[in-house]
Amino acid sequence: MATKSVKTAQRYAMVIDAKKCINCKACVVACKAENQVPLGVFRNWIDEETSGEYPHLRMSFDPEQCHHCADPSCVRVCPTGASWQREDGIVLVNEDDCIGCKYCIIACPYDARYHNPETHTVGKCTFCSHRVDRGELPACVETCPSKVRVFGDLNDPKSQLHQLLATRRYEVKNPQTGNGPQLYYLL
Amino acid sequence: MREPVWEFLIVNYLFLGGLSAGLYFASALATWIQEDGRSAYPRIARWGALLAPWPVSLGSALLVLDLGKPMRFWKIFFHFRWRSPMSIGSWLLVAFTFLSLAYLWSWLEQDERQSLQARIPGKIRKRIPARVQRWLDLDASLWRRNLAMLGFPIAVGVGIYTGVLLGAVQARPFWNTNLVAQMFLFSALSSGTAALVVARLMDREPVELKEMRFLYSMDITLIVLELFIVLPYLIHGELSSLAVKEALAQVLGGPFTIVFWLFFMGIGLLLPLAIELYEFKPVILGKGTFHIQPRWALTAGGLVLFGGYMLRYIFVFAGQATGFR
Repeated sequence: MATKSVKTAQRYAMVIDAKKCINCKACVVACKAENQVPLGVFRNWIDEETSGEYPHLRMSFDPEQCHHCADPSCVRVCPTGASWQREDGIVLVNEDDCIGCKYCIIACPYDARYHNPETHTVGKCTFCSHRVDRGELPACVETCPSKVRVFGDLNDPKSQLHQLLATRRYEVKNPQTGNGPQLYYLL
Repeated sequence: MREPVWEFLIVNYLFLGGLSAGLYFASALATWIQEDGRSAYPRIARWGALLAPWPVSLGSALLVLDLGKPMRFWKIFFHFRWRSPMSIGSWLLVAFTFLSLAYLWSWLEQDERQSLQARIPGKIRKRIPARVQRWLDLDASLWRRNLAMLGFPIAVGVGIYTGVLLGAVQARPFWNTNLVAQMFLFSALSSGTAALVVARLMDREPVELKEMRFLYSMDITLIVLELFIVLPYLIHGELSSLAVKEALAQVLGGPFTIVFWLFFMGIGLLLPLAIELYEFKPVILGKGTFHIQPRWALTAGGLVLFGGYMLRYIFVFAGQATGFR
């Protein structure tokens, strides 16, 4: 009898090595192009922070987007269930059920959602689920020239993401919100 | 910080929804308290019943208009999400609106009911089945007390929901404290009471002393309760974690400081409290006679309503400017 390979459930996440980020914004552009994000709103962006005093200055760049939380508050507050989470952890908006109440925008501690000025529904990062389902990488990951972003399956021990998290020190942003964010920033 | 996504439509709704809840609550209390087998304060009860359904209806319409897709509002009622305050609140609003309309009906006199029905165009009136017709002619005045009692929890629910809607969001530290819900509830009940003071004084029939005593004692109690919520909200917030402290800076030195202290705390809360206490002094001290000075009472009532609106304005806008970053 042939052995059936039992596939463990996937849990997608992203590792971000912010020290490698050069603020070229290729990820922002790639996302805009891939997902046809309207002008004026963004699914991902780079936070810039300058610290220190001249001449001892330091500038850091933090790529930001939806954290695809384990317990997403945006999904909880949605009155119609338009905001939902796939089994593999990706948080999505079903545009047909979205009434545009904007409660999820307010409930997101990472300010990762926006009101789409064209459709009048809410938009957000999808981890490029349409690409991931074809076995490809999210557009921002694929395009990043300095390899800041690593996308993968937390439950797959062979994945680069899993190995980075096993060997490197990392942090998640604002864990005190209780959302269980799944963007891991390497230290 | 990001631009606010909830603006004046939501401020107005929060105020109007709370106002209706307060009107119903005060009216129901006036109905419920009896004297010689009749409502002790029938004119107050009737005013409250006549006014209660309208602010909340207007507010709900504003809520729908605020949606990105107003024509899809019905979807809320086809997906029940018990963890979403907005889902629960929408059902509460519907239940409350229908209940307050039934309560209004029970407070109409027979000739009022008939003249209302006479306004329905003949073509439509002829089509109304006899059973419904009989129903509309029914004298529901005996149900007033039952409707009032049934409405207490629902009116309180609508009043507190406006605060829960904001408070149940952990991403906004300005809202996410366990005092916001009560603050909004007491403010809502107080603004309903104040609206009844104003309505009763505008009434052609001169106001009775015992009616004013009822409204004043209720409003003074509610304002004091509100103070007992607002002050701990500020003090505990200052002693809380950094995110909460930073959020409170919005009203303690930040852009909403003047609005909060002058327009809400000063003009909208302490000043009407002072006026009402001054007017009510003979009753509290048991010395002298209690007079009504309509001018002062109207001022106090108007200021309470103004303060209630300011509270909602501050919370909606200041709250959205706060976060964890």
